[in-house]
Amino acid sequence: MRVEIRQVESLDDENAVISAVQITESIRNASEILKKNGACIPAIMGNDTYMVRTDQIYYIESVDKRTYVYTKEKCYETKYRLYELEGILGFSFLRCSKAMIVNIRKIRSVRAELNARMSVEMLNSERLIISRGYVKELKRKLGV
Amino acid sequence: MNKTKLIFSQTLMISTGILFGIGVQAMLSFLLGGDDVIIWEWYIPFSIILAGFLCSLATLFMLYIGEESREKVCIKTAFHFLATLAIVSFCGYIFGWYSSLSAYICVVIMYVLIYAFVWISTIWMLKSDEKKINEAIDEIRDEE
Repeated sequence: MRVEIRQVESLDDENAVISAVQITESIRNASEILKKNGACIPAIMGNDTYMVRTDQIYYIESVDKRTYVYTKEKCYETKYRLYELEGILGFSFLRCSKAMIVNIRKIRSVRAELNARMSVEMLNSERLIISRGYVKELKRKLGV
Repeated sequence: MNKTKLIFSQTLMISTGILFGIGVQAMLSFLLGGDDVIIWEWYIPFSIILAGFLCSLATLFMLYIGEESREKVCIKTAFHFLATLAIVSFCGYIFGWYSSLSAYICVVIMYVLIYAFVWISTIWMLKSDEKKINEAIDEIRDEE
């Protein structure tokens, strides 16, 4: 498929049109990624509320019924629960355990462990675990 | 993998492994000038399935509980190996799979080979998945 990208002046002018003979799974995924591009979620740090771009998020963790959003260097708290965020976040986010969602675009590498879990190294060198039950979903998302 | 599926697949795998071992023993015996037929009591096939089922229970309770560290998995694997060996030895003793020490040693050697084969196959599959996932992640990873 021929792909053309043009730079525009404002966010209002941003749009994408995909012309295809058949709407495949890849095209649906691409569409979802484009729709979610630039999406933000409100999150709190200290007394201030910030709009955190979803493409800046590394992972989201739920601890003691509180939800924390981690970017490369910062940690915010959000009022959303993980299951709500699963609906908001895009295709590149994966539920990797009961208490965590990870952005697979921020993964540097994975390593298989003997108990069928995956040890993940993030781009900021943090290490996370993808539980056994969620590895299948990771493979599905990556088309492996 | 759910528990029922695990028990079923493990029972099948272990029963097949035991049958394979008996087949190899019979073939070696024949090639070394022994009998060219195997005569079984009526309960032997059931005893093989029972041994497979008991080993699958050992797998369920010893290898697939929760998310654990690498060291704990190694220790559990060692205990699992000993427990399943004990089950096979016990079933063999009760159902008369072996009648002398040398025959028992053959059973143990066969068991060790099959156990090693299953683990090597499992590790190979995990590493194969790891490689495919890393290749797929390389293609979508964000630039930092």
